[in-house]
Amino acid sequence: MTAAPGPNPSPEPPTGASPEPSSGASARGDGPPLVRLTGVGKNYGSVIALRGVSLEARAGEVTCVLGDNGAGKSTLIKIVAGLHRHDSGTYEVAGEPVSFASPRDALDRGIATVYQDLAVVPLMPIWRNFFLGSEKRRSLGRLDVGHMRRTTRRELAEMGIDLRDVDQPIGTLSGGERQCVAIARAVHFGARALVLDEPTAALGVKQAGVVLRYIVQARERGLAVVFITHNPHHAYPVGDRFLILKRGRGIGHHSKSDITRDELTALMAGGAELEELAHELKAASAGGAGAAAARELTRQAKDLGITGKP
Amino acid sequence: MTSTKGRSGRGRARGAAAVLAAGVLVLGACSGSGGKKAEERESKAAGGASGPRLKIAMVTHSGPGDTFWDIVQKGARAAAAKDNVEFLYSADPDGGKQAQLVQAAVDKKVDGIVVTFAKPDALKDVVARATAARIPVVSINSGADVSARYGAVAHFGQDEAIAGEAAGREMARIGAKKALCVIHEQGNVGLEDRCAGARKTFGGQMQNLFVQGTNMPQVKSSITAKLQADKGVDGVLTLGAPFAATAVDSAKEASSDAKVGTFDMNKDLIDAVKDGRIWFAVDQQPYLQGYEAVDGLWLLKHNGNVLGGGRPVLTGPAIVTKANAAALEGFASRGTR
Amino acid sequence: MGHAVAQPPRPPEPAPSPADDERLARRSPVRRLLGRPELGALLGAVAVFAFFSVAADAFLQASSFSTVLYASSTFGIMAVGVSLLMIGGEFDLSAGVLVTTSALIAALVSYQLTLNVWAGVVVSLVLTLLLGMVNGLLYVNTGLPSFVVTLATFFMLAGANLGVTKAVTGNVATDSVRDMDGFDSARAVFASDVDLAGVNVNVTVFWWLLLVAAATWLLLRTRTGNWIFAVGGAAASARAVGVPVARTRIGLFMGVAFCAWLSGMHLVFAFATVQSGEGVGNEFFFIICAVIGGCLLTGGYGSAIGAAIGAFIFGMTNKGIVYAEWNPDWFKFFLGAMLLIATVVNLIVRRRVERAP
Repeated sequence: MTAAPGPNPSPEPPTGASPEPSSGASARGDGPPLVRLTGVGKNYGSVIALRGVSLEARAGEVTCVLGDNGAGKSTLIKIVAGLHRHDSGTYEVAGEPVSFASPRDALDRGIATVYQDLAVVPLMPIWRNFFLGSEKRRSLGRLDVGHMRRTTRRELAEMGIDLRDVDQPIGTLSGGERQCVAIARAVHFGARALVLDEPTAALGVKQAGVVLRYIVQARERGLAVVFITHNPHHAYPVGDRFLILKRGRGIGHHSKSDITRDELTALMAGGAELEELAHELKAASAGGAGAAAARELTRQAKDLGITGKP
Repeated sequence: MTSTKGRSGRGRARGAAAVLAAGVLVLGACSGSGGKKAEERESKAAGGASGPRLKIAMVTHSGPGDTFWDIVQKGARAAAAKDNVEFLYSADPDGGKQAQLVQAAVDKKVDGIVVTFAKPDALKDVVARATAARIPVVSINSGADVSARYGAVAHFGQDEAIAGEAAGREMARIGAKKALCVIHEQGNVGLEDRCAGARKTFGGQMQNLFVQGTNMPQVKSSITAKLQADKGVDGVLTLGAPFAATAVDSAKEASSDAKVGTFDMNKDLIDAVKDGRIWFAVDQQPYLQGYEAVDGLWLLKHNGNVLGGGRPVLTGPAIVTKANAAALEGFASRGTR
Repeated sequence: MGHAVAQPPRPPEPAPSPADDERLARRSPVRRLLGRPELGALLGAVAVFAFFSVAADAFLQASSFSTVLYASSTFGIMAVGVSLLMIGGEFDLSAGVLVTTSALIAALVSYQLTLNVWAGVVVSLVLTLLLGMVNGLLYVNTGLPSFVVTLATFFMLAGANLGVTKAVTGNVATDSVRDMDGFDSARAVFASDVDLAGVNVNVTVFWWLLLVAAATWLLLRTRTGNWIFAVGGAAASARAVGVPVARTRIGLFMGVAFCAWLSGMHLVFAFATVQSGEGVGNEFFFIICAVIGGCLLTGGYGSAIGAAIGAFIFGMTNKGIVYAEWNPDWFKFFLGAMLLIATVVNLIVRRRVERAP
């Protein structure tokens, strides 16, 4: 990756038909958090997917949601993104209670979600993907192709991806690059809160490192980032707050200062299963692959200057 | 392609405008010529016998929507009305399914069955079962050669080869030297027989041309192409009435003066024959096939009569030319000729 | 690289190989042109054209070419709607009989109510678009594959075509509208010949070219076009970014209906009577045109121009065999063989392009 290091200090305000650009200052620090779930629950018929989960995401912070498969992460994300309505509890955006009917509603409130499958159309050119659903038009309904091409190239350059040909199908990009395009798209269209659903799950260590760097960049730009993952090694270096989910319940809510990576790992697995996890880890270490990957990530993160940040 | 945009508000308004426009047109746009009213001005009627009510089933190999079989049914229904017969019709182009339909009629214990032997082997066994159950079977249209052998008491139809020969003589009579025989269904034995018969008596050169009968623009462009490719063609023989009118269009388009003759009849065709656009039509009188089959079974049940003496009774060819077209016009326009 | 251009969408998380991490080589304008979906079809068309130019003497005459264009246009008009629908990821098996339905509506309404034929034309447009909308709504609301939904409507329409026609007219074909008011002007619009430098070109050819141009503009230069590609390429992703997926799909089915209406009007005013049993089986020819033209069966990729070239190949083959005066018994064999040649050329070209850096 030949990306330029360091965040871009002054992003241009988005030009698309989007709500007011992220100012950052208004919701950062004090005041109501940008996204707040309080005691949220969700049932699918008789199956209880989520019970009494609370979550806060503030501007300029990365809130990590950790959990194993089936812990309720995807249900939580669907509620935040507006795909599903919650059954109990409250969902507030910047202090205002909401109940979204569609992802469009959430987008209009500045909550953009980047799904695991990235919500990109592999066969379509990068710039068409970038503007999909928010196309810029001129008179007579014509697409403003030149503007969209230029904007796509510029926005990606600002995220440190220098693509010379934005006409290539997005399917020809690597997984990490596609993830970054999806993030850049959300940022461009005025997202104030960015919800990332397992962005590093399918990536190799090196590419995951790249994505983690963009998460940090998004935070630097003043966005509230909700980072969903099952990997504490990815979450810990970039996260400010950690919510651990297990079987549809929140079993821990910590800020970075009061938890270590090992504690986080242990918490995520759950006390009772710690033994089992240790055993699994040992088996993995015997193979060498898991341990090597973890070491590599640590090294990468250090190189990129991620771990040093609060 | 504006329709694909379908944006909510404007789209609805546009839709409403279209409906409104249609309404206005419907109310205000009456045609001064032609149409249903013109037809009603000249419509006529027809009318029946008594005796114990019989039940007769007809099972043909017709596909849906075929003009020819429509006329056969009309003939059969006319005879059924006159003879106090309950008439049941079913059809399937697939031989095996046609046999199942015949079996269904046997199971219903009808008083007589009319079948077509388009695929004789598929029907052989089931017809044998019908005769074993003492249900008389009459065949129509196709299968003159196997009809008696398979146990049918009579056959009403046109020998396709004989009809073809008649058509060949007609083509020669109108002065064609090099002709096309337009086959609208590939692999249909009856159509091939017509062309072969026509070739035998024509005297000149006759080639077959295949067209896709279910796609009229393709029929038209194929005949046009052929006439363009071979300027020497001066006669076109079509094997179904709708294709004759198309062949006339094709000849015009290819600036060919090929003369068009055809098999089968319909209302529009008779107009074309009358004013000389189409030179002749070889009619196998489908009405007669339906009528005689039902009436023949009625005669057998009521008086033990059998028509034809064990040999096929020919319902055609009947040649329609400019000379007799006017006399048949009324019959064709009510869809019985 | 660009090797994913014509393959079905890859899973979004490919095993990352070192090569994937490297920057993609710049694609020159020439290479980009080679990557267009219609290129292979174009070369296939050139091959078929060259073949028949040699094999059939009459093929190169201007009047013959006009006949070939006419044959192509009758497939091509429908292929426009069908290819857009296919890019949107769906099939419409009722497209063939919908043409007949549309023609029957116009002829029956005009004749039975003794109206100016233009009234029938307008009523037919409204009802045909409604039928397209019904196809779309059924598909969107049931969630069944469009293959199944339109197979059902195909049978229903085929049955209704016959049943209604027979119930209304007593025959299996409509009565002739040739001598009715408005027939001549309607014929001028839908089925006339236009004299172009001494060659009679059927007006359907111009309708066809117009539709292809409109569809191409729609696909490449409008938001709707973006949505069509997205809905066909990855419907869930499209929905997630706010594309109105259901509305786009219904619109596409209505687009097919619009093309069916145009074709149906040609049937009415070229032949004056409409046979109710016509049209069955034609739906596959439309799909074939789109596929020869480079549309992916899985959706998300293709072009209206490609479908037009596909229709042209089909029309050339269909009529070229007649011009070449080959033994008609082998007609379908030759038809199949020529289509195979056209599609194989198409395939080879595309593979070459994709393999090249």
